[in-house]
Formats: sequence, structure tokens, C-alpha cells
Amino acid sequence: MSDKRAKDRLDGPRDPDLLERITDRNPSRLGVGRAGSRPRTDTLLEFRADHGIARDAVLTNVDEGFIEETGLVKIGTLIEDTEEYLARPDRGREISAETAEYLREHCEEGPEVQLVVADGLSSSAVEANVPDLLPILLDGLADRDLRVGTPVFVEYGRVDVMDAIGEELDADCCVILIGERPGLASAESLSAYLVYGPERGGPTAKKSVISNIHQGGLPPVEAGAQLVDLIAEMCERERSGIDLREDDREFVTD
Amino acid sequence: MSEHRLTSVGIDVGTTTTQVVVSELEVREPAGAGKLEIVSREIRYRGTIHETPLSGPETVDIDAVARIVEDELAAARVEPSGIETGAVIVTGETARKDNAEALVHRIASEGGEFVAAAAGPALEAVLAGQGSGAATRAKERGEIVANADVGGGTTNVALFDADGVRDTRCLDVGGRLVRFDSEGAITGVSEAIRGLADDLGVDLEPGTEPSTEDLDRLAGAMADCVIDAITGPPFSDRTASLAIGSLPTDPIEVDGVAFTGGVGRLVHGDPTDPFEYADLGPTLAAAIRERAAELPLLDLDETIRATVVGAGTRTTELSGRTVEVDESLLPLRNLPAMGVGDLPEEDLETRLEGVIGEATERYGPDEPVVLAIDDVGPLTYDRLTRVAAAIDTVWTADGGGRPLLVLTRQNCAKALGQALRRRSDGRPLAVIDEVGVADGEYLDIGRPLDGGETVPVVVKTLAF
Repeated sequence: MSDKRAKDRLDGPRDPDLLERITDRNPSRLGVGRAGSRPRTDTLLEFRADHGIARDAVLTNVDEGFIEETGLVKIGTLIEDTEEYLARPDRGREISAETAEYLREHCEEGPEVQLVVADGLSSSAVEANVPDLLPILLDGLADRDLRVGTPVFVEYGRVDVMDAIGEELDADCCVILIGERPGLASAESLSAYLVYGPERGGPTAKKSVISNIHQGGLPPVEAGAQLVDLIAEMCERERSGIDLREDDREFVTD
Repeated sequence: MSEHRLTSVGIDVGTTTTQVVVSELEVREPAGAGKLEIVSREIRYRGTIHETPLSGPETVDIDAVARIVEDELAAARVEPSGIETGAVIVTGETARKDNAEALVHRIASEGGEFVAAAAGPALEAVLAGQGSGAATRAKERGEIVANADVGGGTTNVALFDADGVRDTRCLDVGGRLVRFDSEGAITGVSEAIRGLADDLGVDLEPGTEPSTEDLDRLAGAMADCVIDAITGPPFSDRTASLAIGSLPTDPIEVDGVAFTGGVGRLVHGDPTDPFEYADLGPTLAAAIRERAAELPLLDLDETIRATVVGAGTRTTELSGRTVEVDESLLPLRNLPAMGVGDLPEEDLETRLEGVIGEATERYGPDEPVVLAIDDVGPLTYDRLTRVAAAIDTVWTADGGGRPLLVLTRQNCAKALGQALRRRSDGRPLAVIDEVGVADGEYLDIGRPLDGGETVPVVVKTLAF
């Protein structure tokens, strides 16, 4: 968010270089000074501004124009509005029978890879990262000769809506790009969840994830390229989640 | 997550001594780091201090050095095939011997799968400070710490701050520049010190026995320059005349000073017999000790072995977690880096053509070089495809003999690598990120750790 932090804020620090090293280390509000026992006015205003951005990310919807330009087929879940979305995670994971029908009419059935984009808890994350992530992902999947279905956008979607969509479209593998819960340091963080053989109610352990995708974290282009490798591996080995990483772990059985 | 241990060797062939250490580097992903890092460095074996074998005044006995290394590795119970990384460095006057280059390359190739050859006074200075613990102290305390490595042939000073190396100052000052027989008569004098001796009116005729006063005056003048090199700039004319390479110009106040190297170790200790090592070392150390009384002296972990420990534990870096590499290309050795700097917004082809033209001029056509890019520009899809297209165009026009080797500081190796791969028609490629390298430096790139997602990289200077 704001690039202007503590170093311009504290008056006459004894060791400005040291202060800068500390404050540059992470985006927390370090060394912001104080006024008596309270934060300074500008610190407080900045905090409120960051909180406002985080709230906006949750409460606003992804722009219709963006969805159209990106060429995504838009559907909804069982959720009616933001209030319900926040209160009923279960209804954000399911689609109606009509929506399932609509999906089958407008999307390719039985693809090897089904891509889903969902607003999740941050519409800003979708708008900020998907334009760079999606094309490199599509390039890479094409290079691997993987048959990619029609990409879908879900409004008011939770992670597990990928299982419902993947099941209805009979996809081998399903990937959802979803906005993460915003923090006060970044409201633009996106996650990618992946599952091989999507089915409703499947265990979370079968999902792989790449998280913290944003310009200040894992850059979206690089995330797209990493997803290509991960999806290719999942399709080749026909598994996902911890089943894909079992050789990394030592399970003591006796 | 997975954890690795790398067996690393350090070999230092110096003016006076040759040393070997074997260490174990622990590689892990610290929480939140997002990439593998070397989190601990443990010395497993400290070799004996050997006299560097010479076969003539200007030649090192390479076979004898190779035998020392072989014996030390046997004593350490390490097979060369079990050594995964490390470095051989020739230091001090040895770096100026006629066969120095042949020496490091041979020892490096015998030392193990991925052992780098290195040379250069500034690098020596930095490795000594990293090996002694000076760099760590500077980082932990946020102080400016000077490490003065005073050896047989040269004195290499590195200043560290919390961010790493601030600058280096290297001088032709060392204990072996004047050598004696058991009677105290001169048997040899290095060219590097003749000017100073003439200046002081000290007669260094071989066969003669110089007076204690003369030796004290010579050692005193050398010690003045060592202290000056630590406390300057500004530097005296005499210091400037003994300098190897350039000296910095911005004054810095030093919070702590550590002396390392064979002579540096004696600075910290008690006075010894001046002719114990048949050279000027103890006299020089005594002169430095006297003059260093005013300095904030530090007693650190390593003294005489500082450089070899630095070479064995600090030369390996790890790339970002995700790279795009054709494994058949690895390991790659002695790749010259072509610095591209920040890529311009427009006219990428012109810049890259210039760089490739320069590479052909320096190293010949079709010789592999690494394109070292500081900043590719904004990490967007359009930009990366544009950069990949430009690299491919220029490489194709160049004849296509060179593999596509690219290094970036930003985390974008996989994206750029895949974009390149789809254009490059099956040409072998390696794109590695989160490693910085300067123009004219050399790189060794090892085989991937962690299932192909991270490679060890040694950035090195080869300046003979």
C-alpha cells in the first residue's frame, strides 16, 4: 500500500541507516513514532486507509468489463449478496442445477484442465493478477499439449466450488484462482488451488496450493509458469495434494 | 520441507601456506523466505597448515599441491566424488606465479564435481572477512567492521557493514616479501617491496645480514601502510604506491578491526622469535601490534584459516526456488557473465546485439556466455514475452551456436524460461533467478537440489 512509511516519519533518528534496514525488512508499521500514548495522525489515517482498501476488496465485485475482456464464462453460486457470502461459506461452494446446465451448454465438457477464476474475498486480487497470470498459464498448457476447457468466472465463490464445477464438466484436473482474505499490507493477494479428479466433498488433503501471488510476493507471471509445471505433473501422475508430495515426507508407521 | 546438507571444500594456495578445510552447509527454507538458503556452515575438518610447494621462484609445484589436497581429503575421510561444492583460491603472491591459472583449474577439476576456481585480491579480502566472522559481526551489530588479512605476500582489507561488503583495499605488504636463512641473512626479496626499501635506504642485498634497526624501519613503514589502509581514506602516497587495484575515496569510520592471515594471527598473539618463520612476518606483526593499540581490536573465531574457511563456506549461493533449466547442460563451469544492466523499455534488440557482439569479441563466436540482467522491467506477461522474443531474435541472428543462458535478479526465471522455450526451437536453455552477478565475473552452476527447483551458483572473480 503506502510506500511512505516510518523513515520519513521519525524525527531525527540517531541511526537513519539502521532504521531504514529495520523498516525495509517487512511491510509492517514499524518505527512510526507516537504522539503521547497514541499513534500520530498520519499513522492513524494511513492505517484507516489501508483498512478501507481491505474492506473494499471484500465488498466490491469484479468488474463486468474485465470478465468479458478476459473471455470468461460467468456463473454464480447459491449466494445472493455479499452479506450472505460472508455468513454462509457452504452456499459459496455449491452451484444450482440451472447453473450446472448452463455450464454444460457454454463450456467444453471433459477437458484435461478446467480453469476457474473466483472473486473469493478479494475482487482486487483477481483484477490485479489474472491479466498477467492467465495468458502465460494458457501458453504453457498449450505447449504441454494439454486440452484446456472453457475458463469460468464464479461470483461469490469459495475454494471448493472448483469441485462442483470440475465434477459437472467432467474435468481431469481443476484449477481455481481465487482472491485471498485481504490483510492490512496487501489486498491484492491471489491463491491458486489445484485438484486432480475433482469431486464434491473431496478431502482438502487432495488439493495443492500456490499462495501469496501478487507483485510484492510471487509475481503473477512467475506463478503462471509454476502452475504450468505443477498441472503437467498432476496430469502425468494422476494425483494432487499430499499424494503428489508423499516422497518428501517420512511417515513413521511402527 | 526437504532439507539438504552440502559437503563443501575450501582450498587456499597462498604465498606461504596451503590449507584445506571441509565443511558442511545446511540448506533449508527459512519461514517466509520463499527460497532455499544456506542456514548454517559447520567446519568438519580443519587441515594442517602446509608450506606452499614451489618448483622455482616463479612457479608453483602443481603436483605437490595436488598431493597435499589429496592427502588432506583422505585425512578428512572425504572422497572427491562426495564433494558437492566449494572453491579453490590462489592468493597473495601465488596468484602472480606463471602457472597460477593452470594450478587453480587443475585443483578445481580434481577437487570434486563442482568446485570453483577463483583468484583476485578483492575477493581474497572479502572471503577472509567472511571466514573470520567479521562480516557476521557487522551484520549482527550494524557496525562497520574491517578485516585486515595480512599474509605472506599481500594485505587484503575488507570493510563490512550490515548489508555486506562496503569496500576493499589491497596492498603489496606481507611477511614473506623478505626471506632469511637460519643465520638471519637475506635469501630472497620480492620485487613488490624493493621500491619501499630503496625509499627508506634499507639495503636488502641477498646474502647480507641487515641490522635489526633497518628491519624494524622497513616493517614499521609497512605496518604504517597497513594501518593507513584500514583507517583511510585519505591515504598516504606510500600506501597508494603499494596498493593493488584502486583504493576507495569516501572516508568511513571503523567500529572494529580484526587481523587475520599468517601475520595477522601474530598481531593478536604474544611477541615471538623474529626469525621463527625465516621471514619478516613476526617483525611485521610486532610493528602492526604496536600501531594498532589505538584501534578497536576484535578477536574473532578464525585468524590464519580465515580465507580458506571463507572459500569453503561462503562462495556458494543458491538460486531462486523455481528455475527453468535443461539438466543435461549442468554442471556449467567458468561461464563468463555479460552484464546487460537494466533492460531498456524500447529497442531491446539493439542493446542485446551490442552485448552479444561484445561477447564474440571477448570470448569468440559460439562460446557460451551468461546474459546477466539486472532489471527486465515490469513483471508482466507482455513485457516478458517481448523480452523473450528479443533474446531469441538476437540469438538466432548470432548463429544459434550458444545455449540460451540467462540470469535475472528478479523472481521470473520460470516465466521467462517458458516464454523462451516456446520460441527457441529446442535449443538448450537455462534461466536462473534471484542471483546477481557483475559483468566480467564468472559463474559455475551446479546440478539442481530439491527436485530440480534450486541450483547452487558460485559467482567468482578470476583476476591473475
